[in-house]
Amino acid sequence: MTQLKDKAPLGKVIVITSGKGGVGKTTSAAAIAAALAKRDFKTVVIDFDVGLRNLDMIMGCERRVVFDFINVIQGEARLKQALIRDKRLDTLWILPTSQTRDKDALTKEGVEKVLNELKEQFDYIICDSPAGIERGAQLAMYFADEAVVVTNPEVSSVRDSDRVLGLLASKTKRAEDEGAEVKAQVLVTRLDQRRIDAGEMMTIDDVLEILAVPLLGVIPESTAVLRASNVGMPIVLDEPSAASRGYEAAVARLLGEEVDTQTERDKKPGFFSRLFGAPA
Amino acid sequence: MRAEPIQVRGRFLTAIAIRIEVDTPDASFFAALDEKIRSAANLMVGAPILLDFEKVPGFASRDHLGELVRAIRAKGLLLFGVQNATPEQQALAEEFGLIQVLVGRDTPVQQARAVSPRRSRLVAQPGNKVIHRHVRSGQLVVAERGDLTIIGSVASGAEVLASGNIHIYGTLRGRAMAGVEGDTNARIFCSKLEAELLAIAGLFKTSETIHPDLRRCNVQAFLEDETLHIERLV
Ligand SMILES: Nc1ncnc2c1ncn2[C@@H]1O[C@H](COP(=O)(O)OP(=O)(O)OP(=O)(O)O)[C@@H](O)[C@H]1O
Ligand SMILES: [Mg+2]
Repeated sequence: MTQLKDKAPLGKVIVITSGKGGVGKTTSAAAIAAALAKRDFKTVVIDFDVGLRNLDMIMGCERRVVFDFINVIQGEARLKQALIRDKRLDTLWILPTSQTRDKDALTKEGVEKVLNELKEQFDYIICDSPAGIERGAQLAMYFADEAVVVTNPEVSSVRDSDRVLGLLASKTKRAEDEGAEVKAQVLVTRLDQRRIDAGEMMTIDDVLEILAVPLLGVIPESTAVLRASNVGMPIVLDEPSAASRGYEAAVARLLGEEVDTQTERDKKPGFFSRLFGAPA
Repeated sequence: MRAEPIQVRGRFLTAIAIRIEVDTPDASFFAALDEKIRSAANLMVGAPILLDFEKVPGFASRDHLGELVRAIRAKGLLLFGVQNATPEQQALAEEFGLIQVLVGRDTPVQQARAVSPRRSRLVAQPGNKVIHRHVRSGQLVVAERGDLTIIGSVASGAEVLASGNIHIYGTLRGRAMAGVEGDTNARIFCSKLEAELLAIAGLFKTSETIHPDLRRCNVQAFLEDETLHIERLV
């Protein structure tokens, strides 16, 4: 593998997690990884959802998978053989998982070994966690430096995210070795302003009051997301949309840049967009 | 994930006791039981359950106990033991796979404390606990020998327990149980009440039985005349 920069890679591990299933973790992992890669950070995104492989589909490389994360952990392939380079961005890589193996194939030692090897080569290592709070999800978060907790603005999703925040504070290497917390921020996805106005969904303020962690970003419910994932395109590499702008802003904040939250949060459609329908 | 196949850990367990008040259960007894279980289903289903014989040393019929055990288990409750049972009641309970749980003055630990003055001084040491963070869903915080103060919120699905008072400088959305060793003078204070459950010395109120006017208010809860009262603090 060629080293693109002279500087040592950052080697930062970020887990994308949620507790509840189907809230947009994989979509977010792909979008955040692609947005970081667009900014020239050498980035790899890893699928921890053993047996329910779908990161590779969202990234559009499912037909290029030969070896996977599990093969590497079990010593059946070298990391280099399993990493797939994105066809659109040469700073973006994916480490797919196995669709056929058992979840128990993931071991703490194995995951640590692979992550350590990746840290020597990559600036950002994005871990797409499986749903739940069991072994797979715990392993995905265990070695993280930072966490993005993906939440939909509804009660059960928020409650599960709260549970995950508790695990992040206690069941990670940082917490166990140093008594330090993994920095966690919440990414609210699938926000539907009409359903909030109708009182069917929680407001961002409600969500933040309960979770009491900083807001990384807000991604609106958008047909553009579905369209992009159907053609294997991370949303930020597709045509600009409200969702892609949301992810770009979230990544800017992840990098510590100041971004005005109001622009995404309270932007009411203007007269023309109301007349012609707001862009997705 | 670890090398050792087994780890032994102490576990602090909250169980719910069903105290029997009549020696011979009849139809009205079972109707009342059904009603209790229905009204507190949230609290009882899935929780470990005990039968308390404190008030009925004369309850000694195998058939009655069998009927009671079947009725409780048929509701999906996890009945596992008995407390305050006479030796005959214990023997009967064992036939139904119920274990004897030692509580209050029965526990050997407390007897040991009582006979050893050094030990009792140790126990008398306050064990107050202050937590400077939010208690998240799924987390349990216990102050076994004193007051528990939380500077932060208690999430829905979280549980805080103390043998003394509980003070929450934040929103209480989960469960708070004060006076868990039986102290009826224990109180719960919270700056914003949205609790799933409040309990003092085993007497409880669930979100369904807390008056809606008290929701989101700064309140205290206390026992008076064997009833749990919640009052707004101004
Ligand atoms: N902002 C959005 N607008 C509309 N649809 C979305 C949005 N985000 C995600 N989705 C859709 O929601 C579904 C679930 O998304 P995704 O697979 O990313 O969730 P997940 O949390 O990874 O799920 P799992 O827990 O199963 O791994 C997908 O069909 C995806 O296209
Ligand atoms: Mg997923």
